[in-house]
Amino acid sequence: MTGLAPLYLRAAVRPGRGDALPDRDLVRTGVPVDPEHLARYARVCGFGFDGALPATYPHVLGHPLQVALMVERAFPLPLPGLVHVRNTITQERPLAVGERIDLRVRAERLAAHPKGTTVDLVTTALVEGAPVWLGRSTYLARGAHPSGAGAQAAVSSPPGVEGGAPAAVWRVDAGTGRRYAGASGDVNPIHLHPLAARAFGFPRAIAHGMWTAARALAALRGRLSPAFTYDVGFAAPLLLPSTVELRTRAAAPGWDLDVRSRDGRAHLRAAVRPR
Amino acid sequence: MPDTRRAAVIGGNRIPFARAGGAYARASNLDMLTATLDGLAARFGLAGERLGEVAGGAVLKHSRDRDLTREAVLGSTLSPYTPAYDVQQACGTGLETVVAVANKIALGQLDSGIAAGVDTASDAPVGLNDDLRRVLMRLNNARTLRARIAALGGLRPGQVVPELPRNAEPRTGLSMGEHAAITARQWRIGRAEQDELAAASHRNLAAAYERGFFDDLVTPFLGLTRDQNLRPDTSVEKLATLKPVFGGPDGTMTAGNSTPLTDGAAAVLLGSDEWAAEHRLPVLAHVVDAEVAAVDFVHGGDGLLTAPVHAVPRLLARQGLTLQDFDFYEIHEAFASTVLATLAAWEDPAFAKERLGLDAPLGAVDRSRLNVVGSSLATGHPFAATGGRIVATLAKALHEKALHEKAQREKGTGRGLISICAAGGQGVVAILEAAR
Repeated sequence: MTGLAPLYLRAAVRPGRGDALPDRDLVRTGVPVDPEHLARYARVCGFGFDGALPATYPHVLGHPLQVALMVERAFPLPLPGLVHVRNTITQERPLAVGERIDLRVRAERLAAHPKGTTVDLVTTALVEGAPVWLGRSTYLARGAHPSGAGAQAAVSSPPGVEGGAPAAVWRVDAGTGRRYAGASGDVNPIHLHPLAARAFGFPRAIAHGMWTAARALAALRGRLSPAFTYDVGFAAPLLLPSTVELRTRAAAPGWDLDVRSRDGRAHLRAAVRPR
Repeated sequence: MPDTRRAAVIGGNRIPFARAGGAYARASNLDMLTATLDGLAARFGLAGERLGEVAGGAVLKHSRDRDLTREAVLGSTLSPYTPAYDVQQACGTGLETVVAVANKIALGQLDSGIAAGVDTASDAPVGLNDDLRRVLMRLNNARTLRARIAALGGLRPGQVVPELPRNAEPRTGLSMGEHAAITARQWRIGRAEQDELAAASHRNLAAAYERGFFDDLVTPFLGLTRDQNLRPDTSVEKLATLKPVFGGPDGTMTAGNSTPLTDGAAAVLLGSDEWAAEHRLPVLAHVVDAEVAAVDFVHGGDGLLTAPVHAVPRLLARQGLTLQDFDFYEIHEAFASTVLATLAAWEDPAFAKERLGLDAPLGAVDRSRLNVVGSSLATGHPFAATGGRIVATLAKALHEKALHEKAQREKGTGRGLISICAAGGQGVVAILEAAR
């Protein structure tokens, strides 16, 4: 999975791109789940290890396909510096180590955004032809305005919790981005080192949104039904290192949660709803 | 306070036991215990249920696993309003948690509870070198620069070597196997009878799996559906080819008739009869009584693993029973020689008189009633998980027999005896009785 670094490099130096999304699916069949890799991911994100895939893990399996699609010459947005702004995961049941998983990725909804253009990368995990897991990742390219972008989609992010005592305080150290990059294969340079992050306009390295999302979901272990939707809106980037607070509130049904800095700035607002 | 009542064994759940460094090499105690509690909750419809308490424990425990059992409850589907605490009594841990929860149920302090245990030899704690730890503690306590420099002066290159856990007694420096070999020699336990006991354990466990006995006792985990140590095709002939590993070159204890290091977890659901009825759950058996004993294995000449030899006669005397009043005997197979030495001691008139203070020995155990569905030699022995494994297994075996007897209009005693030896010269024993 660390093989993605050359793709980032190619994407950074390659000029010219298309105006519209490629209308095709990238498919990978029989994607293996390496228990060693899964155990490392679980440790980095705070999940237990019991052979079930955390609901955020198939995103990691599908990430190389997402990147492969986004570095194609025809892809209308530049990959480096893309910001993950929204992620919705729906699982019918937890996937498990040893299942034969097929992955399908396609790009959808190229849309204007106040700060640029967004695109959705939709990953579907199938077992024996039936979709079991679906992840929709929305990325923002700041300042990009390809001509094929549609009208701005109505965005209603989960409200989060707003106030109350935190369920947990996380001391997020400076190595978090590098550790998650190692465990997930997502080696976007803005997560790895302050200097690399500065090149893309961030004062310090920032945590992967999917790490924050995974760690928040891990905090609900034992409280979730097997089938649920996890809808996450990413707000301010989580600069490393930081101390942040997780808040959770039982919804009827499901959970609302958010992750905020101690000054109240939200990094993530999310909702878990049973299906 | 109500009169005392007998706690009911409602059922159990465990994960298959794995050989150290095997299928569960990447799983922690917390992972295994949480999965086992979740499996129990799924089997008995306890998701979201507030139970009286969960008592659990592990023998090899990381310092970060303080309150391991409570953490497992918080990560499980059980209600977070379920209290929990840790117990540790070496290999007696699992049975001791059953005794603790059962006693509270007997006194009316609890209506329901889970007794559990877990251990991993694959993810065992590795400590800081103890000399280095002392230097760091001194440094941490130093208030002045001079004191800090003085503390740092205690650093030595050799301190980078960490402390690895050893399966040895702190006071004697001998491993458990070496201790057991002394006892085996003392009781003249032969190689052939040890190999026979080991072969029987594998044969019985394999047969029990084949007839589905463990279908409602074991939940598959990380790809394992049966205990990884089980060798259905082993035989006395194959076991006879192994070289001795304890007791020197002419020793009788081999890797085949000794229990290997193992990873796993087990849990037992206990409750009052009323609680079980309210939840429409069956009662397999009741916890009748229990006894613990300890021996002086350091200076007193006792064998390290012989405490149950003393515990059982005390338990029988209190209950007015003889050793022959049982349908099943579950004697934990730490080593085949341990089981055989225990049986030999109970049959020995001189030992009864001199060491147990009895006029007559307890006598022989009907071997066809011993470890009838296999024991630790075949399943493996994740230290704290063994008690839960045995209690759930015996309760089910007693229940099965009671059903059979009802159909056949026969009548046995309905009783089962559990005997578990533990490091530190301790032993925990208990009596279960089939629910009628």
